[in-house]
Amino acid sequence: MRASLVAAAAAAVLAVLFAPAASAGSRQCPQQWAEGWQALANKVQSPVYCPTWMPNPLDAKIGGQYEDIYSISRDRSYLVSFLEHGDLGSGDVHVNFRGYPGRLAVPKCPAPVGHGSTPCFSNPVAKLSANGIRATVYQVNQGADQWHILLAWHYRGTLYAVSEHVIPPYRFSTQVRHNLSLLLKSLVLVRPQR
Amino acid sequence: MKLTRRRFLGGAAVAALGGAGIYELVDQLGSSPVRPPSTVAAPPEQHLIDLRTTHSEGVEVVVPPLHSEIVTATVAEVDLRQAQQQLEHVLTELESSYDPATPSGLGITVAWGISYFARVHASAERHLPFDRRAQKPVLLPTRRFPSDPDATVLEQNDVAFLLRSDTLAHIQAAESALRGLDFLQVTSVRRGFAGGGFDGKQSLPKKLAMAAGVPGADLIPDTSELFLGFTSTQKAGLGPRLIANHETLGYVDLRGGYFHGGTHMHLSHISEDLEAWYLNFDFGERVLTAFAPGQKAKPNQQTVPQGPHDVHDAAQMRHTFERTGRFGHSASIQPTSRLQRDHVGPDGTVYPKGTAIPQRADFNTLDNPFFFSADPVRDKWTKDPAAGVHFVVFNPSGDDFERNRLAMDGQLPDGTKLDVKQRSRAQGFNSVLTTTHRQNFLVPPRRHRSFPLAEL
Repeated sequence: MRASLVAAAAAAVLAVLFAPAASAGSRQCPQQWAEGWQALANKVQSPVYCPTWMPNPLDAKIGGQYEDIYSISRDRSYLVSFLEHGDLGSGDVHVNFRGYPGRLAVPKCPAPVGHGSTPCFSNPVAKLSANGIRATVYQVNQGADQWHILLAWHYRGTLYAVSEHVIPPYRFSTQVRHNLSLLLKSLVLVRPQR
Repeated sequence: MKLTRRRFLGGAAVAALGGAGIYELVDQLGSSPVRPPSTVAAPPEQHLIDLRTTHSEGVEVVVPPLHSEIVTATVAEVDLRQAQQQLEHVLTELESSYDPATPSGLGITVAWGISYFARVHASAERHLPFDRRAQKPVLLPTRRFPSDPDATVLEQNDVAFLLRSDTLAHIQAAESALRGLDFLQVTSVRRGFAGGGFDGKQSLPKKLAMAAGVPGADLIPDTSELFLGFTSTQKAGLGPRLIANHETLGYVDLRGGYFHGGTHMHLSHISEDLEAWYLNFDFGERVLTAFAPGQKAKPNQQTVPQGPHDVHDAAQMRHTFERTGRFGHSASIQPTSRLQRDHVGPDGTVYPKGTAIPQRADFNTLDNPFFFSADPVRDKWTKDPAAGVHFVVFNPSGDDFERNRLAMDGQLPDGTKLDVKQRSRAQGFNSVLTTTHRQNFLVPPRRHRSFPLAEL
């Protein structure tokens, strides 16, 4: 419990420190994270969103200590995941970033029962607007986003998503949605370099 | 993130509201339903209580009591006739203080376990009702069901007192009076609540779950009658007044008639994984899981009609399962819980095909698993609140209950066993419910509620 409170307090402090500017244009992907996100944008030949804030204790350094998944599919869709396993009681913090270049439709995942498929993101419960992005909040998600709250939005013909696991220290969906709103505000575009 | 990675650290944030504090909030957070004063004396049946109805999303629903409590106990080695008089005196006193016919007063149901009847063995041999349909006694030894974990505790209490009221103080008075009987050794106290929300205000389960800080609380719909987001007291989904009596449907041989007006009660505690329910099942899947694949529901609908014409039979259930690989909770139970043909009761009441038989009195709880346990190690008791339900259901016989519960696991009375992995998501609610405790009881008629058969 103490660890949870510490994590939540630290998150609040970081939220202030990294409070996003009114416009995404005034910020850049943090220097120590930028190389990885630029490489990702170049690889998928599409803009990607780099966060300038992450829930404590994560950072968003691709190839860093918290990177859990770095996956780019043949269709250029990607999943970049950051995870802290708080095995000593501080809890798990898990954030996923996704992009589907050239696609707007919510992808399909294997159905939980039977042989059919089901939308990978479902049960839209709200809209969230920040940073020039109008995102849909999805409550029920599949695959690596299972048990996560997820935001999805479109930008220039591409579907993007960011999600966070509902688990202590962020044990309530309201806490996770708060984190996701901070993440949304913090995103900056990284465009591919030719 | 796989399900197995989920961690449960429930309740730690709620130290300030632990224990009784949460339940006391019911009186502060909920407004008591307006109930017409009862115009009749308490009925011969102990398990009946007058509950008014209202409408929710166009469906007639029963308004449950705000508070419910169960006190279980064993009986010390005492003179049972003397104890009978003492208990009856306490119950009569309570009835004189609180109207026993309605939750605006206090409903009391006294139910007796198989271990008690062993104490009056000779009379029990002669008088306990016998289920002629099942060719078994009405009161069966408590058992586990296929989807129950091995850890499910099969309890052996002598007696259970079900207390129902819209006013917590009435229940507290009854508990206090019962605790004053020195021959009762209280083994558990189980508390809970239901309802609110039909008037469009935030319901008690939502408020209380939020106040307790249980995982998933913030995902419960605001006006939900119960934690799982759907109304469960559709009038058409509950057995009408006398149908759960031993004698009504003709299943039971009442021998000399001592237990005429009685019924069977099953009591269990079930923990509910609200996060799994709301984060892994989208609304459409929650509907088909709670009701049936193909069940129509408007977005975020909570009260789904469950009338006789909405009932599934066994053939439909099998067909749906073959087509979809899954079956819903209601659809799985209805082939056994609804009348398969019209029936005329002994008093001339006509019960049409599709009428529900069980009378449920379940209520949500934040007990983990009980409010009080005399054996906290066995019961895995903790003060940290957790979402669950104290499931109370009255059926004409134990076998009738077992038929319904087995059907919930895909096993039908005709021997059909649907090929589904126990506790899988294909199997209705089972993947998010875990039964921790079970026990069967016999509910005598009111005239014999205190130590039945002891006077013979």
